[in-house]
Parts: sequence; C-alpha cells; structure tokens
Amino acid sequence: MTTIAATPDEVHADAEEHHDHVPPFFQRWFMSTNHKDIGTLYLIFAVVAGIIGGAISGLMRMELAEPGIQYLQGWASMMQGSAATEDQGLHLWNVLITAHGLIMVFFMVMPAMIGGFGNWFVPIMIGAPDMAFPRMNNISFWLLIPAFILLLGSTFVPGGTGLGAGTGWTVYAPLSTTGSQGPAVDMAILSLHLAGASSILGAINFITTIFNMRAPGMTINKMPLFVWSVLVTAFLLLLALPVLAAAITMLLTDRNFQTAFFDAAGGGDPVLYQHLFWFFGHPEVYIMILPGFGMVSHIIATFSKKPVFGYLGMAYAMVAIGVVGFIVWAHHMFTVGLSVNLKMYFTAATMVIAVPTGIKIFSWIATMWGGSLSFKTPMMWAIGFIFMFTVGGVTGVVLANGGIDDAMHDTYYVVAHFHYVLSLGAVFSMFAGFYYWFPKMSGRMYNELLGHVHFWIFFIGVNVLFFPMHFLGVQGMPRRYADYPEQFAYWNEIASYGYAIMGIGMLVFFANIGYSLFAGRRAEGNYWGEGATTLEWTLSSPPPFHQFETLPQIK
Amino acid sequence: MTEATGTSQIQSRNTRVGLIAAAIGLAMLALGYAAVPLYEIFCRVTGYGGTTQVANAAQAETVQVASSTMSVRFDSNVSSALPWDFEPETVTDKVSIGARDMAIFIAKNRSDKPITGTATFNVTPVSAGKYFNKVQCFCFTEQTLQPGQMARMPVLYYVDPAILEDPDTQDIKEITLSYTFYPVDPDKKGS
Amino acid sequence: MTFMNMVKSLSVAALLAMTPHAAIAQEAATTDVQAEAQATTADNAAAATEAATETSESGAVGSYVPMKPTEGKGMPVDGGIDFQDQYSKIGQQAYAMHNYILMPIIVVISLFVLGLLLWVMARYRAKANPEASKTTHNTFIEVVWTLVPVLILIGIAIPSISLLAKQFEPAPEDALTIKVTGYQWYWGYTYPDNGGFEVISNMLPAEEARARGETPQLAVDNRMVVPAGVPIKVIVTAADVIHSFAVPSLWYKMDAIPGRLNEKVMQIDEPGVYYGQCSELCGARHGFMPIAVEALPMDEYNAWVQAQGGNIKGEGEDEAEASEAIEDETADAETANASGEENTENAEAGSEAAAAPAN
Repeated sequence: MTTIAATPDEVHADAEEHHDHVPPFFQRWFMSTNHKDIGTLYLIFAVVAGIIGGAISGLMRMELAEPGIQYLQGWASMMQGSAATEDQGLHLWNVLITAHGLIMVFFMVMPAMIGGFGNWFVPIMIGAPDMAFPRMNNISFWLLIPAFILLLGSTFVPGGTGLGAGTGWTVYAPLSTTGSQGPAVDMAILSLHLAGASSILGAINFITTIFNMRAPGMTINKMPLFVWSVLVTAFLLLLALPVLAAAITMLLTDRNFQTAFFDAAGGGDPVLYQHLFWFFGHPEVYIMILPGFGMVSHIIATFSKKPVFGYLGMAYAMVAIGVVGFIVWAHHMFTVGLSVNLKMYFTAATMVIAVPTGIKIFSWIATMWGGSLSFKTPMMWAIGFIFMFTVGGVTGVVLANGGIDDAMHDTYYVVAHFHYVLSLGAVFSMFAGFYYWFPKMSGRMYNELLGHVHFWIFFIGVNVLFFPMHFLGVQGMPRRYADYPEQFAYWNEIASYGYAIMGIGMLVFFANIGYSLFAGRRAEGNYWGEGATTLEWTLSSPPPFHQFETLPQIK
Repeated sequence: MTEATGTSQIQSRNTRVGLIAAAIGLAMLALGYAAVPLYEIFCRVTGYGGTTQVANAAQAETVQVASSTMSVRFDSNVSSALPWDFEPETVTDKVSIGARDMAIFIAKNRSDKPITGTATFNVTPVSAGKYFNKVQCFCFTEQTLQPGQMARMPVLYYVDPAILEDPDTQDIKEITLSYTFYPVDPDKKGS
Repeated sequence: MTFMNMVKSLSVAALLAMTPHAAIAQEAATTDVQAEAQATTADNAAAATEAATETSESGAVGSYVPMKPTEGKGMPVDGGIDFQDQYSKIGQQAYAMHNYILMPIIVVISLFVLGLLLWVMARYRAKANPEASKTTHNTFIEVVWTLVPVLILIGIAIPSISLLAKQFEPAPEDALTIKVTGYQWYWGYTYPDNGGFEVISNMLPAEEARARGETPQLAVDNRMVVPAGVPIKVIVTAADVIHSFAVPSLWYKMDAIPGRLNEKVMQIDEPGVYYGQCSELCGARHGFMPIAVEALPMDEYNAWVQAQGGNIKGEGEDEAEASEAIEDETADAETANASGEENTENAEAGSEAAAAPAN
C-alpha cells in the first residue's frame, strides 16, 4: 500500500519539542481542538452509552427470559414513583426497545467508530497534523452530550400510555404523532436532531480533512482503507442524515404545529415517513459497519504480515456498497402494500449489495492466505468479525426476497439478522480496533490473556444470545413483544443465558482496560512489528500532542 | 512555498471544501422536504399506493368503452373523531371498462353540530390506481353536514381500458375503492 | 375485557344504526359477545354454545361452536426451529423456496467461509508459515469471486421473482371479501359481502385461554371466521396507528395503515385454527392483540354467517345486477340527489333501504 519516508526517529524528534504545549486540564478536555483528545472523549462517551444501552438490553432479556410479564410493572412504578398500571408497564417495554435502539445506533456505534477511531486515526493515517476544522470537531462532540441527556431525560416525562418515548427507534407516524401524547417523543426527536447535527458537522470535517489535508504523496489511491471507509461513511452521513432531519422535523411540526405531513386526516401519508426514514435508515446501517470494514482490513493485514489483498477492489467495494445503499431502502417496507414491480425491484437491488460485500469477505481471506498469521487479540476479533458478518450477511440475502420476507418481516429473524451484522459485526470490529489501537492511544499494552478470554466468552455469549432468535423468527415470533406464547419460551430462555455469558465477557473487558491503563506494559511506537505499515506506527505511543508538524513524505 | 502562505492556502481550500460539503447537506435537507410534494406528484402520476387519477369530463368523453366489465367494490371508513355515518349505497357494482359510472356514498352527521369532513382515498389492488379515473368526487372538496343532515355523496368514475393491456393489471377482476372520512381540523394545514 | 367488548360492539352498532340490516347483524353479534362472555366463566365450550343459543334473538347461533385448535397446526411449536407448517399454496411455495433453495445456499456459503478461515488459520499460522508472501493481486480469483456470487444471486432472484408474481395474483371475480381493521389494541373483522357486520376480536386473558384449551397470548374471544379452500380477498386498514395483520402458518402479512386500504389474497387449504400476532409496533398492548383465523368448510361458514345475522354472499344480489344496464345508461344524468330508480332498486336488493327516504 503505502511506504513511509519519515522514519520513526525523525517523528519522535519532531514530537519532543511539542510535548510542553499540552494545555491545562479544563482547556484540554472541555475546549479541546485536538483530534486525539476529541477522539478519546468520543470513545469514553461511547463506552458510557454502551454500558447504558447494554444494561437496557439486560433488562429486556430479563423480562423475556420466561413467558408472562414479571418485572415491567415494578420497574415502571419505580420510574414514576407511584404504582404503575399494566399498560404503563407495557409502555415501559416500548420505551426500553426504543432507548436501546437509539442509544446503540446514535450514541454508541457511531460515536465510537467515526468520532472515536475516525478522529484518532484518520488525520494520522493521511499524515495531517489535525482535522481540517478543529473547533467544529469540538462542537460535534459536545452536541452529543445534550442529545444524550435529552434522550435519557425523555424516559422520565409522559409519552403516551406511560413515561418515555415508546415508538421504536424508527419513530413511525402516526404512533409517534397522534399516538403518543406528551413531551417524551418531542424530546427524543430533538435528541436525534442534535445527534444528527453532530454527525453532519463531523462528516463535513472528515470530507474536508481527507480531501485537503493529505500529506504530500498520499494520493487518494494510496490512502489506507480505514480512511477510505471513513470517507465513504462521511458521504453517507452527509447525504442521509439531512433527510432524517427533514423527516423528524416534519414529525415535530405534525405533533406541535398542526401540519399534516404524515397525518392521513390532513391529507398526508404515514407511508411517506417510512420512505424518508428508510432512505436515511438503510445508508445508516452501512454508516455503522463501513468503518469496521476499514479497521478489519488493517488488522487482518497487520497480523498476516501481508499488505491487503486487492486494495483497489476493497476501496471501490465500499464505494459501491455506499452507492447501492441509497437505492434499496424499501426492503424495510415490504409489507406496507408495495406493488409487485416495486417489490421485485427492491428485491433485486438489495441482492446486488451481496456482491461487493462478498468481494470484501473473500479479499480478507485472501489477505490471510499465504501470510504468517499471529493470533493476537485484535486478530481474533477480526476473524470473528469475518465469520459473524458472513452469517449476518447471508440471512440478509434471505430477507432481501420480498416473497420470503412476508413471513419474516418484523419477526425475531430480522432481529437476529441485524444483531449479527451489528452486535457481532460492527461491535466485533470495534473491539478489534480497540485492542489494535489501545496501546497506541494509551501508551500501555493491554493484557493479551484477558483479551483472549474476553473474546471467547463474548463470542460464545452473543452467539447463544442471537442465534436462537433465527429460530424464534421463522417460528413467527414478532419483534418488540414484551410477552409471548409459551411455545417461544425455550429459545428465549437460552437467549437470556447468552446475554449473561456476554455480560461476563464484558466484565473481563473492563477489567482488562482498568488493569492495562494503570499496570499495562509501556507500548513502543510500533508494537505490532513489520505487518503494521500505516503512519500511526511511525509515531510514539501515545503519539505526541501535535504530530506531523513537518509533513511526512509518502513515496 | 513558504510556511505562512501554505497554511493560509490550506485554510481557504478547507473552507471551500467545507462549504461545498455543507451545501450538499443543505441540498439533501431541502430534498427531504421536497420529497413531500414530489411524493404526491409521484403518486398521482404513477398511481403508486393505489392513488386514483383525476380526469375531466372532456377526457372521459373520449374513452372507448371496452366489451369487458370490471367489478368495483366500495369501502368506507370513518375516523373515530368524526361522529358521522358513512356507507356506500351498494357494496359492489359491475361496470363496463371505459364507461362512466356513478357510485353514491351516504353520509350522515349524527351530532348536533355542523361538522366539516374530508375524505382520503385509495384503490386496491394498488397497481390499479393509475387506471382508476375520477371525473367528479365528493373527496375533491371538504364536505359540511348540518346536525342530523344526511347527504348522498357521488363519485363519477371510469376504469381506463388501458388496464386491460398492462400485464400487471389485466388479471384484476375487482377494484376496491376505499374512502376514509376525517374531521377537518381548522388549525391543520394540509401538506 | 368483557366490558370493552360490549362497549365496542354497541358503539359499532350505533354507528351503523341507520342501516337496519347491519344493525340487526350487529345486535346479534353483540348478543353473541355477551353470551360468550358469560360462558367464559363456564368450564367448557359446549356451555358457551348453549348460553349463546338461549340468549340469542336470531336463534341460529347454536350451530357454531368455536373449533378446537389442533396442537402444532397454525401455531408455533415448543422450541421449534423451522417455519410453522404451511396451510396455503403461497406458503408452501415460499417455504419450499426458503428451505430447499435459500437455506442450503446460505448454509453452504457460511460453512465455506468458516472452512476457508479455519484452514487458512491452521495452514498459515506463524509457526507453520514464518515467511509471509507478498501477493496482493490475482485477477483471475477476483473475477471468480465477483462472478460466482452474481450467478448465485441470479439463481436466487429468478424463483424469488416468480414467487412474488404468484403472491400478487389478484383475487378471482367472485372472491369473498373480508375487511380487517386494526385498532389499539384489537382487531375488527367486517364481512361486507355478508351484510356488513363487524366481529370485534380481543385477546383472551390467560386463564380463559387455558380453559378453552388454547394458548395464552394467541387465543381470542371472537375469531376471524373464513371459508376454507377458496380464495378470500382480504382488505386491511387501521383506525388509529399502523398495525400489521400477520398469520405465520399462512405466510401472510399485510400492514394495516390508517387512511389507506391494502389488499392481499388469502387462501387456506383446509379447515383449522391459524394464529397470528400484530406485527407492527402499535403502542403499549402491541403484543396483546393476537389474530385467530378459523377456516371452516363453506357450508359451515355460511351457517356461521347466518348465526351472526348476516346473509350468504350472492343471495339477493341478482336483482341488483339485472338493473345494472339501466343504471349505466343513466349514469350521465345522475346527480347527487338523483336516480329514484336506484333507490328503489336498492330497497329491493335489501341493502341500505332505510337510507334513501331520510334524504
């Protein structure tokens, strides 16, 4: 891929003179314009949001572990401080699924992938001293805080039957308009506005950075694949999020200002909201996975001691996935009453995406082929990612069939599918990236044994958790159900055990972070050795506060 | 190139690219809003979602009446917020394709206040939408009923004979025309 | 629940009060609901029928006894890992496509990728292969792994498209039409071809469901009764928010959207009870508005319709069709308050008779 002219020593020398420029604590962390510090803030934020979102799914698995309603009413009573009715308990269920979805998408995966790893490594990988608009970068991050507070706060204000927004993360009208009285849904919508604005600003920043700030010799076709992935992601954000913003603004005016964009009573059409939402929503799922593709490419190459196989194919496969991702949205709406021609079109178009995805899967395997593989923790996560993403991908091909989807739409099969590509895909790639770069970011090595233990427990846990959902789905169990017929009890119980296993894995992860931050071995500049070839490995660990004051030359 | 000019050049280039990117974002935002009228036009033109077509009397005159017939079913719904009865006079009707026919819906205001209502509509199968033409319909305008008033609301329509040539629709034996009456909220602006 | 039923039925009855025919139907339905509500405290379904017969005004209710569901038919099975058995042609075709085309393909692809990964991990581990090759391109293999998936996808797309075409085949001309309306949080089934009565269907509490030998969360008080073996044109809409009418064992799912009608043909091979559940998030009790479709032989279906106070499809319609010609000729002359013949004709046809004079 790329060869770097600047030797590590030169950069180190460059770094030394700037170490004293680090601003005092408050300025450094609250008024930061440094891409690495902002990246760190994003990662911390994502971990916090991930703990909350994960805890919510724990509550859900607790309730679903056996048929009947065991806890919801009690939890609802606790939240509102007075005895809750059965319906208020059931409403809490909808609040939980809504919050889990929104938190994981907007406040965990996106901040970690784009805000965290993107901020940290895109400038370094292209040999830039920082992002193009450092102050805007700061705004991007700090917009997330009020957004998250609004979302969490919404669960304590009235939202219809009970407290909180119980509309699902899709916020379909008219359930989200005439169907949910009270400020909770308004707060959730405003939260999405802020999170969306944050991401759009971030996208503008990344696009400008990647277009303009590359070091001499770093042509587009020499850019590391992670940079490619963030570039494609930034474009998806820039094209998709404003449509979401428009759609949810219309929801807001429908709710509060007597418009009728999605209200049949005033001549609007609720199906239009679904079109707008999924025009955003489908690219959104690629926004969540593409940076993972980029990270996995680097990790596979590093631990195979080989350059990535088919670099250009890999880059353009991501571009193709991004482009096609915009013209397949209605496969999320196969049961709204589309005509046969539209269903056929969206079936065929959706399947097309499997081709570039397949190219990526096989290119990763080809990268490993003939390599000299070492199975460090990031490599385990990356290999796990490839297989789990394949499983999630092929069930996507099944769902793409409009005629088959009639039985699977809105069942647990869909839940299983998107958790395989996200919880086992995106999250695996995030763990891979985290272990890969953690010593680079912190300056201390993580514990390899704990890393492996984390991987295996988590791998077993999530598979036990999510694989049975395929069975529940084909048997017909609808999603977003707080209770179910007893025939579904067996696999639900197994899935809840899977959650417990996964939870233990996460404890190992946090133990590892805690241990490594304080007692980890100091990391050298390039702790992965010859396989690691991108520019971050030419810097010390952690990198100097300001890097590349003299731009590196890329041959 | 000196250090100083280099930095300011990069900054102005950054501003330019940043503004272009922001403009793209704004354009997409505008497109999001434009989707509302565009969707409406799209529905009208293609009959998407079973949207019916509007024809004037002159157009209706020129339509050839085909030898085959089509069953038309009438379906009515009333919003729970509207204290009206609203029913088709006949449940189904058999019409010659291409010939104009009139269907009557009967509406009655059960309340003691005058109320204005408006009806949304579509046909199923949804692919028949582009061949179902209304020449005259109570749904084109808002309808006001006085307390206890009963009104007969007409729809003058015809089925375009082109329905017989379209492979997606030629097997359709019955078209269902559905109306849902909603109260007109004076505060609500239509989209 | 019982109270809600009554209120609902009564309010629907009031809504249709101007049409005596429908009103009678509705009254009968109401009575039936009440009767059944009383009966649910009794231990068995037979008692329910008896009670219903006693209190029924029409006296014809006695012939209908809610069918006992067959274990494993039209419902999920304990710990099941496959689709529910399919009881429609569409379902069988889709099921075959999934289990004999899609499943083998995705299993083979997944195992192929897993096998490749494991083999590569074993063969090229650092110990076994200390020197990494530097190969980064192989045009032949890249073309292969682009074209082979394309061919596989085309192989999937062809049966998939034909399956879709099959699913969209419109209903035959004489198909019985049943209207499904989603409410927060119950279903309404209207029978426009049988006099226009509406059956309101609420979920049964767990104890009552067990008492009737049905599964809690699936059992309902009043089922959607349909004839078996014939195509039924089901039209679906909603009164408040979006719901989705779904029956897994019939491969049937159609969204119920307020202000808009959807249509999908349902054809059930054999009599039986087929359960489904609302499949679009619709608020607090989304998981508590199940669907139970009871398919009966045509004659039993007709008896059921009469027990509900409805009339059998096709009876009393001939006159309306005979006068069709006159109506067509006068179409141009018709105005909003015109057409005396039409009123008479409708009065004769026995529907909406009371509507005209009030005008």
